[in-house]
Amino acid sequence: MLGSDLPNAVTLLKNLQEQVLAVTAQVQALTKKVQAGAYPTEKGLSFLEVKDQLLLMYLMDLSHLILDKASGGSLKGHAAVLRLVEIRTVLEKLRPLDQKLKYQIDKLVKTAVTGSLSENDPLRFKPHPRNMMSKLSSEDEEDDEAEDGQSEALGKKSVKGVSKKYVPPRLVPVHYDETEAEREKKRLERAKRRALSSSVIRELKEQYSDAPEEIRDARHPHVTRQSQEDQHRINYEESMMVRLSVSKREKGRRKRANAMSSQLHSLTHFSDISALTGGTAHLDEDQNPIKKT
Amino acid sequence: MNDTVTIQTRKLMTNQLLQRKQIVIDVLHPGKATVPKTEIRKKLARYTRPHQMSSVFGFRTHSGGGKTPGFGMTYDFLDHAKKNVPNHRLARHGLYEKKKTSRKQRKERKNRMKKVRGTAKASVGGDKRPKE
Repeated sequence: MLGSDLPNAVTLLKNLQEQVLAVTAQVQALTKKVQAGAYPTEKGLSFLEVKDQLLLMYLMDLSHLILDKASGGSLKGHAAVLRLVEIRTVLEKLRPLDQKLKYQIDKLVKTAVTGSLSENDPLRFKPHPRNMMSKLSSEDEEDDEAEDGQSEALGKKSVKGVSKKYVPPRLVPVHYDETEAEREKKRLERAKRRALSSSVIRELKEQYSDAPEEIRDARHPHVTRQSQEDQHRINYEESMMVRLSVSKREKGRRKRANAMSSQLHSLTHFSDISALTGGTAHLDEDQNPIKKT
Repeated sequence: MNDTVTIQTRKLMTNQLLQRKQIVIDVLHPGKATVPKTEIRKKLARYTRPHQMSSVFGFRTHSGGGKTPGFGMTYDFLDHAKKNVPNHRLARHGLYEKKKTSRKQRKERKNRMKKVRGTAKASVGGDKRPKE
């Protein structure tokens, strides 16, 4: 030991002595209380009891080790070291459980201390999904309410629970004033969009574009749509074990989709592109006439 | 001759709430007409125990013939079956008899009951007037 360390060691030892005296006094008081039965734990959380016992055993082993070391013995291969390591691992494993129970324990302790929880206590038992909803979305409807009354009202709503009657949202009615010209314009726009995606225009685009030519097994969009709906219907029927009725419209759509899926159909039938060329709309013989609303 | 009617089952599910096992049945019958439900039940009985009751329904033949998917349900106990199977399907197995009173008779009886008050309603019986 170096001579410079000697005064430090003396002060540390004196501190140690004082602290040991204080600790022994506390421990003696505690043991007296425990022996008198002031801390009954039968109705408590068994998890906490287990932790208690483990910590006590840890302390005992630790003090055993300190005793041995202080009287000059070596710690190599000491049985208490293994026990300490074991207890330490168990305590480490208990720590995440502790984290999860923290909320419950805090709540119980609070109830025990204060007697009962107040109405607007955030630590109530049931989760309130309403509290998780963004309160900013209701800003437009509540700007005539007072600022301080707002949070109170929302708090009251969340506490009262889900027993209120369902009130449908009141949407502002809009006046319908679509003129004939506007309707005509919309129809023309829709026809133009449909014409742009027709096979004639698509082939023209492919001719003049620089992109590489894609060869795809592309079916008519109506056919894919119908096959998707059919698949959906079949899945529903098999999972619910019921047979759904097919309306006349649905039957017609299915028949037309089957007819369209034949490859020869696209040889002679072209979609109408009069919206782009400006001519009169013409239809093939087997298609329904255009309904003029 | 080879029995060419085959049954394939899919999507077997045990429905604990309705105390039954439900499956989707695919009947394959190339070259034949749609197989009647009684035959399908007989074939299904090979896979179930003798005391269990099975009921099959919903068979729709695909266009072109040859394949008919439908549904089947097997119950372990007859009491569960009587509770959970609808009456028209029970009638197919002979476990339920529909009452034969015609609709007109029932309505006439109801109108006669309207004229009487209290317990006398129960004693309103058939009409005594001769047929005109």
